[in-house]
Amino acid sequence: MTIEFLFPEVCNLFGDVQNVEYLHQCAPSATVIRTALTETPYFVSETPDVLYMGSMSEHTQRRVIEKLLPLKERLGELIDNGTVILLTGNAGEVLMKHISYVTEEIETDALGLLDLTVKTDWFARYNGKVLGTFENMKMVGFRSQFSMVYGDNTRSYFIKTERGIGINKESSLEGVRKNNLFVTALLGPILPNNPPFTEYLLSLAGTPAPAAFRPQAMAAYEQRLKEFGDSSTEF
Amino acid sequence: MIYYNIYVQIYKNERGRAKRLRPLYPGTDMKRMLRKFRFYFAMCSAKACAAGLKLLGRRASYLPGLVAVTLCKDFIGYLQKPETLICVTGTNGKTTTSNLLNTVFSHIGQTVTNNSYGSNVQAGVANALLLNSTFSGKHKNKVAVLEVDERSSPHIFPFMAPDYLLCNNIMRDSMKRNAHTEFISFIISSALPAGTKVILNADDLICAGLAPRCEDRTYFGVAAERPAGDPPAHVRDMVYCPKCGAPLKPEYIRFRHIGRYTCTACDLKSPEPDFCVTDINRGTHTFTVTAEDGDHTLRLINDNITNIYNLCGAVAVLRRCGVSWDEIRGALAEGELVQTRYEEVTAGKLHITRILAKGQNPVAVSGVLSYTVTCPGDKKCLLLIIDDKEDNIHNSESTCWLYDVDYSPLRDPSVDCIIFAGPRCKDQVLRAAMSGIDLSKVLTTDTVKNSAMLVDTEKYQDIYLLFENYWLDDALAEEKLLIERGEQGK
Repeated sequence: MTIEFLFPEVCNLFGDVQNVEYLHQCAPSATVIRTALTETPYFVSETPDVLYMGSMSEHTQRRVIEKLLPLKERLGELIDNGTVILLTGNAGEVLMKHISYVTEEIETDALGLLDLTVKTDWFARYNGKVLGTFENMKMVGFRSQFSMVYGDNTRSYFIKTERGIGINKESSLEGVRKNNLFVTALLGPILPNNPPFTEYLLSLAGTPAPAAFRPQAMAAYEQRLKEFGDSSTEF
Repeated sequence: MIYYNIYVQIYKNERGRAKRLRPLYPGTDMKRMLRKFRFYFAMCSAKACAAGLKLLGRRASYLPGLVAVTLCKDFIGYLQKPETLICVTGTNGKTTTSNLLNTVFSHIGQTVTNNSYGSNVQAGVANALLLNSTFSGKHKNKVAVLEVDERSSPHIFPFMAPDYLLCNNIMRDSMKRNAHTEFISFIISSALPAGTKVILNADDLICAGLAPRCEDRTYFGVAAERPAGDPPAHVRDMVYCPKCGAPLKPEYIRFRHIGRYTCTACDLKSPEPDFCVTDINRGTHTFTVTAEDGDHTLRLINDNITNIYNLCGAVAVLRRCGVSWDEIRGALAEGELVQTRYEEVTAGKLHITRILAKGQNPVAVSGVLSYTVTCPGDKKCLLLIIDDKEDNIHNSESTCWLYDVDYSPLRDPSVDCIIFAGPRCKDQVLRAAMSGIDLSKVLTTDTVKNSAMLVDTEKYQDIYLLFENYWLDDALAEEKLLIERGEQGK
């Protein structure tokens, strides 16, 4: 299995890096390719089994868009061909149509591969949690964001939330799933925090394997499920 | 050389102009008159609140300030400024440095207005100022040293411009409040008036680029014990040049992005420090600061590298304020770190060290873990109480920050036992496993109370208790338990 981690030197906020480390620990024989912002991505000429990108600052987000715009068609091809792509935090926003940076008064056209728009406001930070379902799997996660996503994802959502918001405060449908592309505002250790989903992802990528440190991961996951399901827990 | 702030650079590149935040509460003359009345009402109410708390025998460390800013949002702006207003901000080391400054000013006979017993947000700052002001707002003391939370700077600096601003560093902190370093850098830079004299960490390129419109700039740094070999595999928050975007070339990196850099494409490089620690002598507990007037050897209060930066930053501020080297030397000879943050106790054969490790702050916790393994003891037992206390009451703490902590120091052979105490102990175990830590060394308890009973005091004599700020009372209770066990030989 080949895992390409896009721009780890800058797309690494909130512990997102550990998603790739965890996948590697699940599949130790996998090759991890870490592509810097100044390098040509591996996916341009080859097809990785998993493509990952994590949370970044807004300035970095604009640099990433600039970097990926010429590669838009190839990325679209990978999505259509069913390559496993996981984008966490605000990474997935680069695939959307347009990002409005309210505080900085900057409007940026993004890659336009997803028919959604983004509004980012540095003075409207949202912190929250998500408890939801994806293909009969319970999903848990955290979010801390300046941005909200707008548009229709009713036919392409990733997680149906039971508690917590979806792509924006009026939505209960979180993220985007298109073939094997998974876009979510959940950030940080989404894979270690969701061992069943990690195993699902590994199977999709053609390397079925149990989640690494499964007993410990499941113990933490089950405790979190219990806490998130408790009505007294603040969301 | 001009050091550009990253945000001004963003605007210059993408918008063609710089932008700063406006004061939060602008208004017309009429509104201003009404607010003046509101100020006096707020002042009287806050003073009454402080008097009431005193009658009840409680410390007025926050509430009067909260009353004041609730009734009058720009309360601070109506107060008279002390002759010298020093503000200390940055991610890590604010409290330590503010306390050091208070110690030195007190030692030379100054009564200092400070918020060391209160909060560092707007209400805490207002509280410290109002308690040392008359009803009309006239300040009683000549010097004020105020610790200012980075996020609160837009609510403070536009209303009361600091004469000196010390920023120790800009690092990753609570993702919920502080998001990322670019955001924090923007917040401080936008709020700071141009006339403020800034004292910045030359070895932190993010910090060194703060507030570019402040022309009076002083830099401090540490040249001693320059790291050799490959840089640590930490995530860094400054990889590309803030001026041109090209990769930065590190001369060396101490930890995270702290180090010395040059740009591979333009003329940007880390500024030369005006106050530089050029020697650290751990044997004699001294360090040498090289400044334009020569070398000066001072007592090293604590040998943790982050505290050496804090010491040097404090020295730079004091010298800029006209305090003599002899006065600094005399004060540091007697100064200690605040006991709530660091304490060493010997009880029987046990040597117990209690160290603050700020929760939700991956850099602070990583630093404390690295430091702890260098401390004495070839068979250490670490008791970690680092979960967030408040976020686990009717809540479930976001554990993302744990995945930004570098746990690898815990693999050190000198660490023989690790006890994770607190509601997130299961997450800690998973994180430890992912970091390659031998889980046979790990014990857990989901309650902090009596967690010290898990320490095998027959087997371990060097015990390190690492605690989150809000667990202080609980950590003190566990420390007491360990002391009792040590004294009883159990």
